Amino acid sequence: MKNPGKKLQDELRSMFESISTEGDGENRMTVKCRKEAVITMLSFLKKTGFDHLALISCVDRLNDNVLELVYILSSYGGDVAMQKLNILLKTTIPRENPQFYTATEIFGNASPYERELHELYGILFRGHPRLTPLFLEREYDIPPFRKDFDTRKYVKDVFDQIPFVDDKKGRT
Amino acid sequence: MRELELYFGPQHLGMVGNFSITLQVEGDRIVKATANPGFLHRGFEKLMEQRTWIQNFPLVCRINVVEPDHMELMYAMAVEKLAGIEVPERAQFIRSIYLELARVGSHLFGLWAYANMLGFDTVANWAMYHRDLILDLFEELTGGRVYHIYLWPGGVRRDFPEGFEERIRSTLHTIGSCVPDYDDTFFHNRLFYERAHGVGKLSREDACRMGAVGQVLRATGMKKDIRKTEPYAAYDQVDWEIPVRTDGDAYSRIWVVRDEMIESVHMIFKLLDKLPKGEAYQRIPNPFKWKIPESEVYVRCESSRGELGLYLVSDGGDKPCRAHFRTPSYSHGLTILEKALENESIADVGNIMISLYITAPEIDR
Amino acid sequence: MTKKSGKMDRNNIGKWFKSPGNMGQKYSLHALYFCTGCGIIEIPPTITTRWDAERFGVIPVATPRQANLFLITGYVSVKTLRYIIRSYEQMPEPKYTVGFGSCPINGGMYWDSYNTIKHLDKYIPVDGWIAGCMPRPEAVFVAVTHLWTLIDKGMATGYLKYREHYAKYRRNQEKILGELEWPPLFSKEEENEKSREKVAG
Repeated sequence: MKNPGKKLQDELRSMFESISTEGDGENRMTVKCRKEAVITMLSFLKKTGFDHLALISCVDRLNDNVLELVYILSSYGGDVAMQKLNILLKTTIPRENPQFYTATEIFGNASPYERELHELYGILFRGHPRLTPLFLEREYDIPPFRKDFDTRKYVKDVFDQIPFVDDKKGRT
Repeated sequence: MRELELYFGPQHLGMVGNFSITLQVEGDRIVKATANPGFLHRGFEKLMEQRTWIQNFPLVCRINVVEPDHMELMYAMAVEKLAGIEVPERAQFIRSIYLELARVGSHLFGLWAYANMLGFDTVANWAMYHRDLILDLFEELTGGRVYHIYLWPGGVRRDFPEGFEERIRSTLHTIGSCVPDYDDTFFHNRLFYERAHGVGKLSREDACRMGAVGQVLRATGMKKDIRKTEPYAAYDQVDWEIPVRTDGDAYSRIWVVRDEMIESVHMIFKLLDKLPKGEAYQRIPNPFKWKIPESEVYVRCESSRGELGLYLVSDGGDKPCRAHFRTPSYSHGLTILEKALENESIADVGNIMISLYITAPEIDR
Repeated sequence: MTKKSGKMDRNNIGKWFKSPGNMGQKYSLHALYFCTGCGIIEIPPTITTRWDAERFGVIPVATPRQANLFLITGYVSVKTLRYIIRSYEQMPEPKYTVGFGSCPINGGMYWDSYNTIKHLDKYIPVDGWIAGCMPRPEAVFVAVTHLWTLIDKGMATGYLKYREHYAKYRRNQEKILGELEWPPLFSKEEENEKSREKVAG
């Protein structure tokens, strides 16, 4: 099998409706699909041999008013051509009240990634067994990784407002 | 027996880095472990969205303190791919040599932590001293002991100074001449075997299911290394082997670390022999006006902890639109650690944690 | 640091008789082993053979109850601040705090991060700073010799300041962390301060 990406592209096109694939099929392949199909596609890809979930990421597209979820998969086994291939599975969900389905039952290491996105982007993953805070201590009005959260303004409003403790001389 | 909740860290002598685990114990046996990260969260990826492409270099290396160099490489590689910059051949070799030195330094740091944990103070002191010798090389090359900011899109920041190759060789000979001592005192020591053998055991299926990479995976007998599967820098120019063990416990993991260090040193010698002449860097556009066309990229490399990746998105501006680091410690520290600690004793928490090679800043970012 | 005051005077028997407390404090600085940030990477070289901090009487200890030197190594995130305050309050007096690296001084390169506190001395008193990112191991020793000078002159009084202005510190801490789950360390001081303010006002 020289080019596993090409074969996979054809397979995916025949199995799923309304998807678009990009990339050379050798090193990276981008697959875009509707959000309902993501979980099915993840389990299909896992069965095909892409059993290593490298990353779940999210991009805030403020202009299109959507959040773009990115699942990056690669494979443990398989031949060299297969191991080289990384699949970037993408889907978009609305920015207001974003909800999505959890992938924890398919991939064992998806849980912390989803907790992180829940915290930093405010995405609610339905069916996640423990969607508890991961990193943050304080509560934020807007989830901090969204584009409309201004960290510099936040620092001015919160940290710079706290007075120095000094007795007589120096800074007050 | 009554269950007890026990807090392990962040202020704890057995804890490496600012990290915390909540243990549910029954007597000495751990029933359930819950990792609690976030003590080092600085929101790096958010900060990177507010700085220009070049300004991000001092920032990315601070994500992982123990080996900042692979972080630099990841960002440099991603920017090169996005902007279409070619790297000269000499720079590729210099990068490989530099990264392998960083790997040896990082493994020596890991060995310090592990030996210290088990009470092998002599070995720990040796390892830290030898790491310092490597830091001296870095200091001569880049001016910084810990953070180097040496890799750059289009090559490296400056060429090797005169006679530097010889100094790399002599330093590595100094360290290499002590390998028998390390073996006698630590690796072939019965105490090390008794403490580490069968502790924190992971089967290959479990490791794959929970996203293990790096030594943790190679200790379960799987030959996987990004330097082989997707060669970057000059790793395809020399011959080298992937060290593998099959038991999947702490003992195998530390042995893989040792073998990897020796392999790295051999690789540096081979790379130095082959080092071509030529330019070590390529001019990049004016960093103040540098804009990168709209595109995205996912790059990955093998850091000393495993597969390290960067998903970088540009929206056509002078700053990144989104950067997301896929760090090896993330799965190791949050998923595998919780599984590996189950049914172990409290005394082995540090043992397992350090053998999994977890660095807290890498998890929190 | 003048040459005279920075000199190691631990063999000076007369001084030991004159001020045994100070001398004891100076030469047994037990640093709390708490990795609060990335500065911790320079502590292992500092305490092992090459730089050997024990020459200066600095050794790491496991619990805050045994420590009297708190090295805040690097940036302080909001979540860590809670544990720093707890550890600091558990340390017995006299206790000294040294901020290691640029980040606890004014935020350093994380000046616009939403999750790191910028000025550490708003929350706990700090006796000295080591600037730089990363400061070298030698810088730790310079800081330690400076601290000796301060102890000699009776100027390392951060813990007294904490006692005196505890209400203010606690107020600042609560502004960031919300309500703290542990009781105030010096409860009377708040009343004292209020009465003092009344008199002054």
